[in-house]
Amino acid sequence: MSDAMSNIPLKDLLISARQEAHRMRHFFLGVEHLFIALLEIKGGLTASILADEGFTPEYVIDAIRRKAGKGSRHRLWAGIPNSPRTEVVLAIAYEIALEHGRQSIYERDLLVAVLEENDSIPVRVLASLGMDMEKFRHQARTRTVKRSATGTFVKVDLATYDGELGKDQLFILRRMFHGYAEVRVEQRLTGGYTPALLLVVTPIHVDRREDASVVVKIGQTDSILDEAQRYDRYVKNTLPPLTARLEERPTAPDTSDLAGIKYTFITDSDGHPQDMRVAARSWTGMQLGEWLHSRLYHYFGDAWWKQNRPYKFDVWQEYDWVLPPVLTLEISREEKAPEDAQVLHFPIRRQRLEALEYGDNVVVENFIVQKVDREKRAIWLALGHGGTANTNLTRAYQIEVRDIDFDHDTYYRGEIVERLIGRVWKTRNEQLVGAVRALEPDFEFNGEKIIFNNTRLMNPLLHYTSLLDEMIDASLCTIHGDLHLGNILIGPNNSALLIDFARTRDGHTLFDWATLEVSLLVNFILPAFGESWDNARQVVEILVGINRGDTRLNITAEIAELFQAIRALRQIISDCLANSGHLEEYFIALAFCALRAVTWDTMSVGGRRLMFLVSALAMHDYKYYQQPEFVSGLTPTPDATEFFNSRTNEGF
Amino acid sequence: MEHALIVMVMSGVEDGSLLKFRPDKTGELHEEQWSLNIGRRDENDVCLRNDTFVSRQHARLHWRDERWWLEDCDSTNGTFLENMDDFFLDRRVKGIVPLDEGQLFRVGRTWLRIQPNE
Repeated sequence: MSDAMSNIPLKDLLISARQEAHRMRHFFLGVEHLFIALLEIKGGLTASILADEGFTPEYVIDAIRRKAGKGSRHRLWAGIPNSPRTEVVLAIAYEIALEHGRQSIYERDLLVAVLEENDSIPVRVLASLGMDMEKFRHQARTRTVKRSATGTFVKVDLATYDGELGKDQLFILRRMFHGYAEVRVEQRLTGGYTPALLLVVTPIHVDRREDASVVVKIGQTDSILDEAQRYDRYVKNTLPPLTARLEERPTAPDTSDLAGIKYTFITDSDGHPQDMRVAARSWTGMQLGEWLHSRLYHYFGDAWWKQNRPYKFDVWQEYDWVLPPVLTLEISREEKAPEDAQVLHFPIRRQRLEALEYGDNVVVENFIVQKVDREKRAIWLALGHGGTANTNLTRAYQIEVRDIDFDHDTYYRGEIVERLIGRVWKTRNEQLVGAVRALEPDFEFNGEKIIFNNTRLMNPLLHYTSLLDEMIDASLCTIHGDLHLGNILIGPNNSALLIDFARTRDGHTLFDWATLEVSLLVNFILPAFGESWDNARQVVEILVGINRGDTRLNITAEIAELFQAIRALRQIISDCLANSGHLEEYFIALAFCALRAVTWDTMSVGGRRLMFLVSALAMHDYKYYQQPEFVSGLTPTPDATEFFNSRTNEGF
Repeated sequence: MEHALIVMVMSGVEDGSLLKFRPDKTGELHEEQWSLNIGRRDENDVCLRNDTFVSRQHARLHWRDERWWLEDCDSTNGTFLENMDDFFLDRRVKGIVPLDEGQLFRVGRTWLRIQPNE
């Protein structure tokens, strides 16, 4: 059989397999190294079979490296011996070659042999990723690989869409709808804070028959594949019967950095979904509030926010990661750490961390690689604590390490970095202060308090670190993880459809509602005010009234109407509190979700200004509910004394 | 315990090799209870000398009440079970846990498996 694509000889494969073993400091030749060598053949047999199932070679290679783990620097034996399993695989491959009348092993023989042996690390990794191994074996034996995948050209109709699509995005879109004659792009959904592209698309068959519209998300391959995995793990079995679903594997061709997924809608009638950020513009606050309560909270609640599993946590465990990295380091090429270097490992002593400044030497021990960015020459680490069941813990204390030389060092997602030496380039405080300064505050923002209109609030910049050490009585449930209005669609018959499960996990129940309050304030309420600091202050003063339970706010009927949405949200929140009436559990979540938004440059300046003050107010309210007299029930009505003492009664 | 114990190495330089043990030759045997030591040092019953992440005396396997148990001996880098809920987040063994034949467990960086007895 003359098969152009599977005739790479074993000796070439062994060269790249040995390089892989060397990069991983393994000093032996295992089946995982052979398989990675097979994956690295551009457009090769292995990569193209996996591409059809939605896996890029990079993704699979990362997963294999993660499972195998990097070896230590110490060599305990000479040379690079084959592992016993490698010997078995090579023997099988040789048999297969002989059956085809050849003396030497080629790409296909080796792949078939790895799959026949069926007990190695790469095979187990693929099975865990959901690969159909029976189909894989069949494809490995029979598939002939063509140079370029040709198919009928899918026409993309942009007539009703008032934007443009990049070449890469068009390529992914065509691949996703392979087999259709045409797709019509109906609209772009105003996405969240991710750079991913969200489109409503109608697929059209060759006979002009139209299928129901779907929402297509196109983004970086890594995050798209991650989203699909989270969907499988957390979402698939918890959705109500009528809603958005991911029915297919992601489309992730190995020739592109982008990938795509499709959310199809299981609904009882036809119609295009619209995202709430747009839909809510024509709604009253009351309508929006009621809709969120009945269509979102109650409809999805049983499998999600109403789980109410008791959960006591230190604030940093759930909220440290939402802030900018604690440190940005420049990697050092020295083998030995300078004597004055500070060593960071579990458990972290925050005081030590806070004392660090620009230029200080730091040694990081046993952190886990969260993200690898080859373009920015950077990796993101987070605190790892061997084998802990709490995955949120592993995301705390993020450290960005810059100036990585990827030609020299390999890093992969999930790797435990035992030791890394660097110099402090930027601290979290500097990043937060910089973010606030960029908003051109018209008040003193370095002081103990934020003061305006005779109002005094806690300064988030000074108080967030001590709040991270507080312990909270709360509840745990499956949360969406990014519940802003752009991720909530309204489908036929006013149904709620959730999309974007890239951050779905088990976490603090109120995280979702704090995220939603941030979005409601910025997207629904703030537009009625404006972008200035004065506007932000006006909104915050109304929130103060709501938090106090004040029913006689000195505001116009239209403004009061908008805030009905917030009042409805507070209803949901009081339902979700671990201890009835103890709103401190909510305000801590809001304080950090709002502070995070201050650093988002995708949010309007006015929105970020408001978020800074909302964070200050939430910290103030948190402290208020913490007071012993409140806990003992002596002051049943919240009344932020300090806050209101000298408040003016002027309306606006 | 009459039959032998067969452990397969599932990763590293010895990936694929089979280690065979008999209760009358290896480990400690008291009545129906059999225990084997796992570690980097030569005196261990299951010796993993090629893995620098394995402690000198790392873990123990016990046959008791007609089943296998895995114990971590306060090892530095831990003993783990494969986690079916999250393939990439191994479950750390604290104290003694039941271990099924065919289930993968990790000692340091080395994955092992007790082969099912036919």
